[in-house]
Amino acid sequence: MGKTILRTRNFCIIAHIDHGKTTLSDRLLEFTGTISEREKQDQLLDSMELERERGITIKAHPVTMWYRAADGLEYRLNLLDTPGHVDFSYEVSRSLAACEGAILVVDAAQGVEAQTVANVHLAHKHKLVIIPVINKIDLPNADVEGVKKQLEDILAIPGEESILCSAKQGIGIGEVLEAVVQRIPPPVEEDEILRGLVFDSVFDGYRGVVGYVRIFSGSVERGQEVTLMSTGRHYEVKEVGIFTPKPQVQEKLVAGDVGYFIANIKTTAEVKVGDTLTDGKRPAEEPLPGFQEVRPMVFSGIYPINTADFEHLKAAMSKLQLNDAAFVFTPESSVALGFGFRCGFLGLLHMEIIQERLRREYNMDIIATYPSVVYQVEKTNGEVVEVDNPAHLPDMSVVREIREPIVRCYVLVPNENIGDIMQIMMEKRGTVEHTESLDTRRVMITGILPLNEILVDFHDKIKSVTRGYGSMDYEPAGYRAADLVKLEMLVNGEVVDAFSSIVHRDKAEARGRALAQKLKEVIPRQLYQVAIQAAIGGKIIARENVSALRKNVTAKCYGGDITRKRKLLEKQKEGKKRMKAIGTVHIPQEAFIEVLKAN
Amino acid sequence: MGGVSARCKHLYVHIPFCPKICPYCNFYKEGANRWKIPKFLDALILESRKIAHLVELETVFVGGGTPTALSSPQIQKLFLVFKQYLDFSKVSEWTIEINPATVSLEKARLLLELGVNRASLGVQSWDSSQLLTLGRVHTIFQAERSYNILRDAGFKNINIDLIFGIPGQTLKSWEKTLEKTCSLKPEHISAYALTYEEDTEFFFKLKNGIVQRDEDLEVRMFHLTQQYLEAAGYVGYEISNFAKEGFESKHNWAYWNGDEFLGLGPSAFSNFMGHRWQNIENTEEYTNRVHAGIDPKNFDEIVDYEIKLREKIAFGLRTRVGVPKFYLDEQKSGPLIEEGYLEVFGENVKLSQLGKILADEIAAELIP
Repeated sequence: MGKTILRTRNFCIIAHIDHGKTTLSDRLLEFTGTISEREKQDQLLDSMELERERGITIKAHPVTMWYRAADGLEYRLNLLDTPGHVDFSYEVSRSLAACEGAILVVDAAQGVEAQTVANVHLAHKHKLVIIPVINKIDLPNADVEGVKKQLEDILAIPGEESILCSAKQGIGIGEVLEAVVQRIPPPVEEDEILRGLVFDSVFDGYRGVVGYVRIFSGSVERGQEVTLMSTGRHYEVKEVGIFTPKPQVQEKLVAGDVGYFIANIKTTAEVKVGDTLTDGKRPAEEPLPGFQEVRPMVFSGIYPINTADFEHLKAAMSKLQLNDAAFVFTPESSVALGFGFRCGFLGLLHMEIIQERLRREYNMDIIATYPSVVYQVEKTNGEVVEVDNPAHLPDMSVVREIREPIVRCYVLVPNENIGDIMQIMMEKRGTVEHTESLDTRRVMITGILPLNEILVDFHDKIKSVTRGYGSMDYEPAGYRAADLVKLEMLVNGEVVDAFSSIVHRDKAEARGRALAQKLKEVIPRQLYQVAIQAAIGGKIIARENVSALRKNVTAKCYGGDITRKRKLLEKQKEGKKRMKAIGTVHIPQEAFIEVLKAN
Repeated sequence: MGGVSARCKHLYVHIPFCPKICPYCNFYKEGANRWKIPKFLDALILESRKIAHLVELETVFVGGGTPTALSSPQIQKLFLVFKQYLDFSKVSEWTIEINPATVSLEKARLLLELGVNRASLGVQSWDSSQLLTLGRVHTIFQAERSYNILRDAGFKNINIDLIFGIPGQTLKSWEKTLEKTCSLKPEHISAYALTYEEDTEFFFKLKNGIVQRDEDLEVRMFHLTQQYLEAAGYVGYEISNFAKEGFESKHNWAYWNGDEFLGLGPSAFSNFMGHRWQNIENTEEYTNRVHAGIDPKNFDEIVDYEIKLREKIAFGLRTRVGVPKFYLDEQKSGPLIEEGYLEVFGENVKLSQLGKILADEIAAELIP
């Protein structure tokens, strides 16, 4: 049956954004004396600047606490603070897999939200024991009974199990810790062969990769030869330790422990989330379940505005990748934008974060192109290719079917907005699976939508029609065939690759017209007339003309005007040089930015 | 390329005073201040002495501002001193700009007597309401009288300055202005499209939607100008300049050729010995500096081969002579010739009628 590690509990905290997950984590650390008041820094665990700013967690941050429980015994509590966004759902799932239980935080005033639902589904999948915590009970508009009822009705969690708490005021913290000890089962060690679940990693400039690991069985110590099962590569362990929350070197990590290992590993790409760490000499026969190669869901081109910055951009991206193996990029070139990179992201938030960090931390001026999902294209010869760049879509004559990724989407909105949301979902080519009343005020609408359709403004639209009261979350739901076409933009008869997009046939014409109109606005008049066309499969569906420039002449040119005039011409000349020449047409950089920019 | 000789042949003199500031003008000028003028004139004279050994003049152009804002005695003193210090022996063209409201028969005679042989009269329009729009101090009657005064005084070479594209102007009224101008038979006509220069009242009004431009109409006026004046026997020898045979302005040609010239007075440019410089654009400071023996230069650039080539192309293309074909990158000039924007004649290339109105766009395309 295996050995039970009686004095250890591994758990995580799951919550909808802003429901108080991080505040509760901080209180637990204080209450157990893991950090003193003096060391305290608000939102201690979210250390990345962007994480704090956005109030979200991107990286998993494990921490070990010692807690003397009511039974008089001291317990080792390992808290895994997990990423709080659907983009990182695989990472979340690995963090959950490293635990036996989860604290579910629900805001007493807001109640159950979309992310609450998605998180609970995920926790159930991993058979975690859930401890419901109703937080912010000190708020004047707290509705504890209502929330309890929601927990029962929507999530089938008995309301009486809830712990009432105000992390901010420090109310109920002891009860939460007691519940962790009492309700969450202790880890069980099957045998003595080393099996450790890698749930995250960071790159340290001096020591290489620091892998975060939960040990399920066996032990790992300095000097031991280990292997990572997905790659089969062997390493010698240089150091192991735990987080308290600062890294603290340990003799060894044993079953039930959550900590880190350092083994002279050069890139985080070698230390894959979900991989199994095992003994190099006596490896486990089977890896721990659930490992997947992380696959980007969303792709976008990132180009330096100044072409000379290409190498800088590459260096900056490589640095980001050191710490974020889920971010992938390959060089690509576009007729319109020159040399840049095709970048893959876990989702929209991930994309925004990377772009923001490139701009902010590396001072890069970049153009990010309209995001694309990964399409499965089945050719007439049966071959299936994945296409993440519209420019690479095979000729439609050899395409049998195009399948697009779809997601299951949970939208929680006030009752009066049901109609609006259904309308938006329909516009986004979605189907509603079911609607469910949460309480007297709100409903949860579950629908299937193409990922492509929710990439850009779906969330904003929900927020705007519900005046901020709506929330949404989603999870991947496979692929579905769709009537998709490639929309191309032509400038004076030449296809401009950067403007191509894959769209649903029903939407192609409207988008084509809108793009043509937009281009007309941003392309300046020049010596020759410019024809802008939108085409689907060679058929022109929209056309706009930028009429030729009629007049550009300085009337007076005498002695005093010569320098000024020449400088103006030189400036104009430089301006033309910065534009991309498509045949005789000069297209300014702004045109690309306007048309291609993601938001 | 422009001739470099030991001695400079062309002189520009800037008189910055105006009786009233026109809302479209971006030349350096200021209201006439009687107390400032004598000291300013002394400064001009001082500056002229500094260049005395450098010049052997063929053309002189006195512009502004409004040179005729100076009194007859002031003009007399200034010009006599110039002639005393500077070598005027080879001057064949001496132009002065005249505002129609500021010339009397006596002043006109004096100018001729001093050696001025070309008058440039800023008529601008023969429509009273347009003169009002332009903020000109003169009336159409004064303009015609001034023209007649100049003729009566004995001027054999008169230029009339005109402006088209004035807000409210119609094609018909522009044609009337051309007609009236031609009926007076001036030797030279400069017809400028109104330019909304930055830092002018007109530019502000345009930017704020107080006046609107009708580009289509401006294009038609431009073409009408070329056709009408050519038909009337004037040769368009530069985009905005038209002359009877033998009356093209030599001074203007010097600019477009990239020839050397020297300028006196505030804001005046010089192009000499591989440098181009400009005097400071402030009359008081100009005056003080010159009196204190300090160089009034405000800006100086080296005109190297590349700059010279660019200017030669930009300004040469605008003239009836054009530029040698080999100055241009064939890959760029080719499509422009094909599209009819450029005309080839012999070894040279110039702007076609179609190309003239896009001169700046084309020049920006062609300069290296």
